[in-house]
Amino acid sequence: MNKNLWMRDIKVIPFLLPFLVVYIIFTILPVFKGLEMSFYDWSLIRKIEFVGFENYQKMLFDPHFWRSLWNTTLFVILTTPTMVLLALGLALLANLNSKLKTFFRTAFFLPSILSVAVISFLAIFMLQPYTGLLNTGLHSIGIEAEPFWMADKILSWVSIVVVTLWWSVGFNMVLFLAALQEIPESLYEASEIDGATRWEQFRYITIPQLIPIGRVVILLQILASYKVFAQILLITGGGPAGGTRPLIQYIYEVGFTQNNMGYAATMSYALFYILLIISIIQLRSQRLKES
Amino acid sequence: MKKNSVLDRNRDPLRNVKKAIGLVVAIIFIFPIIWMLFVSLKPDGFSTTNPLDWFTPPFTIANYIDLLLNSMILRWVFNSFIVALITTVLTLFITSLAAFAISQMKFRYKNIIYIFFLVGLMIPGEATIIPLYEIAKNLNLIDSYAGLILPMIASPIGVIILKSFFDSVPKEVIESAIMDGCSYFKLYYKIVLPLAKPALAAIAIFTFIGSWNDFLWPYLSILSETLYTLPVGLPVFNSTYSQAYVLPMTANAIASLPVIIVFLFFEKQIVKGISFTGIKG
Repeated sequence: MNKNLWMRDIKVIPFLLPFLVVYIIFTILPVFKGLEMSFYDWSLIRKIEFVGFENYQKMLFDPHFWRSLWNTTLFVILTTPTMVLLALGLALLANLNSKLKTFFRTAFFLPSILSVAVISFLAIFMLQPYTGLLNTGLHSIGIEAEPFWMADKILSWVSIVVVTLWWSVGFNMVLFLAALQEIPESLYEASEIDGATRWEQFRYITIPQLIPIGRVVILLQILASYKVFAQILLITGGGPAGGTRPLIQYIYEVGFTQNNMGYAATMSYALFYILLIISIIQLRSQRLKES
Repeated sequence: MKKNSVLDRNRDPLRNVKKAIGLVVAIIFIFPIIWMLFVSLKPDGFSTTNPLDWFTPPFTIANYIDLLLNSMILRWVFNSFIVALITTVLTLFITSLAAFAISQMKFRYKNIIYIFFLVGLMIPGEATIIPLYEIAKNLNLIDSYAGLILPMIASPIGVIILKSFFDSVPKEVIESAIMDGCSYFKLYYKIVLPLAKPALAAIAIFTFIGSWNDFLWPYLSILSETLYTLPVGLPVFNSTYSQAYVLPMTANAIASLPVIIVFLFFEKQIVKGISFTGIKG
């Protein structure tokens, strides 16, 4: 009996093994390796010595850690509501009954397929002072200001958020658009017979029907925004004076520039827990939706 | 349906206003991309303080030829393409095999293994990148194509999507094939895979674009200029110019045109793919 089971199960090995090996080495193992590294003084070259909770202690009292975690959180706070509302608005436009709707959808989505390197340098060349497209445009319509879009404390955040919205809102828009197209036509027909106005239809049919996908979009957006790194690194370099530096950039600098992989791994763990909690909430709410 | 939409059209007094807003927003969205293409066509060294000058002749494609022949850009295009292609093929291969096993084969601990795959969905790559670097270093994968490809191919979401597709293959088809003495490999290759073409296509497109645009991992793991992918090479290239616009924009255009073309060809599948996975490529 047992031998038969083995004979049966052995057939599955060639199917499962390739995925399993790669998955364990590159997805599962790093979680444990990271935990190990966080208890060591560990350089780019080698493991140096066991230091217990020293890295964790350091993290708790490291103002740069808290500053960059706050910057990342600020980015989440700024981008999540704007992204979700803009995505909803764009989805409504792309769902208009018009010949233009395919063009709208294409236009709104197009930036999100571009590389972060490309969109960052497009932003830099548009926003840089004296010669950038935006400032020269302002000059040509008679506004003689010279805003430093990427170096001013507040404007740099505005620039990063606007560029990120432009770049990645298309993805959320598509999620809303799919949900809009799934709302049964009969709901609108029935309400029309009852004499509902357009606004009432929107308020009492469209919005409630979009709440489940809205929840998914919000959580996916929080998750994505917590991982922010490349566009900030490339556009402001984390400046001015660390004012926009996100957590992942700080982790990178500690690991690769300051040659302290142990401490970098410790801070990665902090990020890991934040993201893990958010994804558990997300899976929960998706399950709720399905049941 | 048709009649209803005509009715709709007459009923909404704000329709034209909404269309106008949509048009303005759509133009704002594509404007930077259009600008990039126009700048890339200006003669090298061109500079202006009047924004309108970017959009008027003279135009030339000399920059494209210049960059493709005399810079590292073509090499980086090649690297990005090879890495994205191999990543896509391997992802499809190993995820479809695993999904087939979970969906169609009987074996012990199947549920545990499937849950083990699901766990991967909750592990964010960005938060494990430091230990991943350490592991890649120990396996001698730093600064190599293999190092760019291997960590990216075991995609749990791919397994989940394909499993749900394979699940919907009619039981009778599978059973009659097995009755005819069809081996599992034949069943996988001849029957189940062809039926899952739409899902495979969606995963392929996402994996390809995702790999083509990936930044963080290549940025950390590639050290030599000859192995840079475009997203890593571009900033190096661009930052050697601060006030010159034409050549950097040409480089950006070279990096973008392939994905833009792929996107315009496959827009329907991409959009559909997003709404059934809900996960960014």
